[in-house]
Amino acid sequence: MAELLGSSSVRSGRASFCLRVVGFVLLLVFAAAASASRDISNGTSKEPNPAREEDPHHRSNTTHHKKAFPVLSFNYEHVRTPFEISLWILLALLMKLGFHIIPRLSHVVPESCLLIFVGLLVGGIIKAIGEKPPILDSTLFFLYLLPPIILDAGYFLPIRPFTENLGTILVFAVVGTLWNAFFIGGMMYAVCQIEGTGLGGVDLLSCLLFGAIISAVDPVAVLAMFEEIHINELLHILVFGESLLNDAVTVVLYHLFEEFAHIGTVTVADAFLGVVCFFVVSLGGILVGAIYGILGAFTSRFTSHTRVIEPLFVFLYSYMAYLSAEVFHLSGIMSLIACGVMMRPYVEANISHKSYTTIKYFLKMWSSVSETLIFIFLGVSTVAGPHSWNWTFVVLTVILCFVSRMLGVVGLTYIINKFRIVKLTKKEQFIVAYGGLRGAIAFSLGFLLTNDKMKDMFLTAIITVIFFTVFVQGMTIKPLVDLLAVKKKKESKRSINEEIHTQFLDHLLTGIEDVCGHYGHHHWKDKLNRFNKAYVKKWLIAGERSTEPQLISFYNKLEMKQAIMLVESGSAAKLPSTLRKLPSCRIIPRISKGREEEIRKLLRANLQKTRQRLRSYSRHDLMIDPFEDNMSEVRFRKQRVEMERRVCFHLDSDSNFCERMRCRNRVNFRIRVRNTLLIPEGKLFKFSREEDIIR
Amino acid sequence: MGSRASTLLREEEIEEIKKETGFSHSQITRLYSRFTSLDKGENGTLSREDFQRIPELAINPLGDRIINAFFPEGEDQVNFRGFMRTLAHFRPIEDNEKNKDPTASEPLNSRTNKLLFAFRLYDLDRDDKISRDELLQVLRMMVGVNISDEQLGSIADRTIQEADQNGDNSISFNEFIKVLEKVDVEQKMSIRFLH
Repeated sequence: MAELLGSSSVRSGRASFCLRVVGFVLLLVFAAAASASRDISNGTSKEPNPAREEDPHHRSNTTHHKKAFPVLSFNYEHVRTPFEISLWILLALLMKLGFHIIPRLSHVVPESCLLIFVGLLVGGIIKAIGEKPPILDSTLFFLYLLPPIILDAGYFLPIRPFTENLGTILVFAVVGTLWNAFFIGGMMYAVCQIEGTGLGGVDLLSCLLFGAIISAVDPVAVLAMFEEIHINELLHILVFGESLLNDAVTVVLYHLFEEFAHIGTVTVADAFLGVVCFFVVSLGGILVGAIYGILGAFTSRFTSHTRVIEPLFVFLYSYMAYLSAEVFHLSGIMSLIACGVMMRPYVEANISHKSYTTIKYFLKMWSSVSETLIFIFLGVSTVAGPHSWNWTFVVLTVILCFVSRMLGVVGLTYIINKFRIVKLTKKEQFIVAYGGLRGAIAFSLGFLLTNDKMKDMFLTAIITVIFFTVFVQGMTIKPLVDLLAVKKKKESKRSINEEIHTQFLDHLLTGIEDVCGHYGHHHWKDKLNRFNKAYVKKWLIAGERSTEPQLISFYNKLEMKQAIMLVESGSAAKLPSTLRKLPSCRIIPRISKGREEEIRKLLRANLQKTRQRLRSYSRHDLMIDPFEDNMSEVRFRKQRVEMERRVCFHLDSDSNFCERMRCRNRVNFRIRVRNTLLIPEGKLFKFSREEDIIR
Repeated sequence: MGSRASTLLREEEIEEIKKETGFSHSQITRLYSRFTSLDKGENGTLSREDFQRIPELAINPLGDRIINAFFPEGEDQVNFRGFMRTLAHFRPIEDNEKNKDPTASEPLNSRTNKLLFAFRLYDLDRDDKISRDELLQVLRMMVGVNISDEQLGSIADRTIQEADQNGDNSISFNEFIKVLEKVDVEQKMSIRFLH
C-alpha cells in the first residue's frame, strides 16, 4: 500500500488522491469484513461468555444494592446476521464504486475480473488472520443470488431478435452443450486411462459428470462481459440466449450423471429416460413460468387503485415461478425467463409509468448487487476451498474446454447456415466461440457434488477454467472485437419511423408468404398476434388499453419519454433529441448567446398563456391518468420549445433583430411570429395565434 | 407463348426465369405449381380476383396494395414471369452475389431494390415521394378504425419530421433508405423459399 501511495505522486494529483481514498476505504472495509467473518466462525464460542457474565451480575444483584442503569451497552449478537450480510454487500458495492473512480482501470480490465481479484484479496486477508473464509454456499447462490440476474435478463429480453434467431440459439444451447459435455467427459476419461497420470480412480461417469458441469456457458459471466463490449445485437442475443437456454440441458445432465454415478451402470432405458427428462424439464419449466406470468398479468389488471405495490407483484410472481420450478427439479432459469417474457407486454400496458421505472431500476439494482457479490465470493471461495491440484487434469480441462467450444461452434454453424437467411460469418463464429465463458453456476454445481474423493480435484479444475475464461478471454475480447472490426451495437433508440416501417414490412411479408402458400415465420407470428389481440389482451389488459394498437402505444411511450427528458433537463433550452438529428444545414444560424437568451425570454413571456388554452383544446391527451397529470403539461412545454426553435430558425441572421425588438413596438414581432406559425403544428397554434400572443 | 392452357413449363422458360430472378430450378417449379393452383381460370395468367381468393390476404391490412404490386402498370393480368419477378424481390441475399460482375445490373433482391419495392407500396401516385396523405392512408390501414384522425395526424407529422431532411414535408426514397439503415432489411424482407 505504501509503495502504491508513493508512486502515485508521479501521476496527477487527482489520481493519487483517488487512490488514497480507495486505499483507505479498502483497508477499513477489509478490517470490518475480517472481524465480521471472525465472528461467523467464532459465533458458537461466544455464546457461553455472555451467559457466564450475567451470572456474576445476578449474584451481585442479590447481594449488593441495585446496580446502575446501563446507559450504554453492547449487544452484538442480536444483530449479527443482518449486520454481517449488510457489511458484505456494502463491501461489494464500495469496491464497485472504487473501480470507477480509478480512471484508466475500468477501461482495460473488465469489472468481473477486478471483483474476483478483490475477492481473492479479501479471502487472503481473512486467511492470513487465521479465520476460515466463507464459501459461496450453493443454496445462497441458487436461491438468492442467481434469480435477480436472470429475472433482469428475462424481463428485458429483446423479443424480436430472440425469436428471429430462436432456432440458432436452441441448436447452440442444446446440441452445443451436449457436444461439449460428452467431448470433454470422453476425452478426460481417455486421458485418465493413460498410465502415469495418477488419475486412474476417475471412472467414466464421474468424467461425464464433470464434463456436464463444465460445459455450460454461464449467463452471469456472459452478461457481465458483453455489457462492456457493446457488441452488435445479433451476437449478443446468440451467446446470451444460449447461456440462458442451456440451463435445461445442464440440469438434466447433472442429475442424470449424478444418479448414474451412484448406481454405477447405465442402461439404454436410462438413457431414453434421460431424453424424456430433458423435454419434461425444459417444457415444464417454461409452462410453470408461463402460468405465473399470466397470473401476474391478470393481477396487474386490477391494480389501478393501488399503484404502489405493482412492482412487488412482478417480482413476487417471478420469484415464485423460479421456486416452483425448482421444487420439481425443472429448469428454474427457463421458468423465470418464460414468466418475465409472458408478463411483460400486458403488465406494461397496465401499470403506471412510475411503477415501470421502479421495476426497471429495482431489477437493475438487484442484479447488479448479485453479480458483484457472486464474483467477490468466487474469489473468496478460491482462497478458502480445499484444493487438490493435479497438473494434467487441470491443464487438460482448460485446453479441452477451449477446443471443444471452438469445434462445436464452427461445426454447428456450418449446419445452421444452411437454414439461416443471414449467414453467420467467420468473424461472428469466432466471437460466439470466444464468448463462451464459464462462471459461478459451474462452481456451485461442482460444490454440490457429494463424492469427496474427486470433488476437490474437480473444484480446482472448475475454478481454474472459470479464472481462465473470465480473466484471459474476458480481458482480451474487447481488443479482439476492435481488431476484427466486428459490428458494434447501434446506440440510438428506436424511432417512430422504424416502428412504422417494421410493422409495414411485417404485414407485407406475411402477405407475400400467403401468396406463395408458404407457412413461414411471418405467417405464424401474424396468427399469434391476431390471437393475442382477439382473446388474450381482453382478459389481461385493463380498460381501454386492451384495444390500443401497438403503434399507438409505442408513439405514446415515445412522447412520454421525450416529455420526461424535457423535465429532467431542467430548462426549455435543451432541445429534444429527435430534433438534434437534423443535419447541420437546418440548425439555428449563429446568433450570440445573449441574443438567444433575450429571444427566449421574450417568447416565454408572450407565450405564457398558451398553456391554459392548449390544455382544454388539445385532444392529444389519450390517457386520462390522474397520476400522470404533469406529463401533458410537459408535452406542451415540449411543443412550445418546438415552436421556439422554429421561430428562431425563421428569425435569421438579422443582426439588428434584438434592437428592433426593443425599440419598435411588438407589432413586427407579432406579425413575424404569426407568419412563421403556419406550419404542420398549425392546428395547435391556429387557436392560440390570435388570442395569446397579442398583448 | 402459345394458346394452350398448359400446365407444363418449358425448360427455356425456366432458364430465362432463373437468369432473371436467381431462383433455383426446384424453387421455380414449386412456385409454378402454386401459380397454377391459384389460376382458377386456367389461362396462364392471374387476375386480381384470383389473388383475392387467398383467405389470409383478405384480412391483411395491406392486402390490396400487395395484390396491386404484382400487376404491372395499368394491366389486369399477370403471367408467371411477372409473378416470379415480383417474388424475386424477397429472395435472400447470397454472399457470392456480392462478388459478381459490377457492371451487371443490380439483382432484383438487392437491398436497394427491396427497399424500392416497399417504397412503391407507400407511394401510390408514383411521384417518388411519400406525402403526408399517403402516410396517413397506410397508418389508417394498419391501425384500424378506433383511433382518431388527429392522433394519426400527429403520428404522421412526427414521422415525416424525423425522416425529412430537405424540408419538402414528404419522404423521398433516399430519406426512406436513410431512416431504415439500422433495420436489417436483408433479413426482414427475405423469405426462405423452400428448395
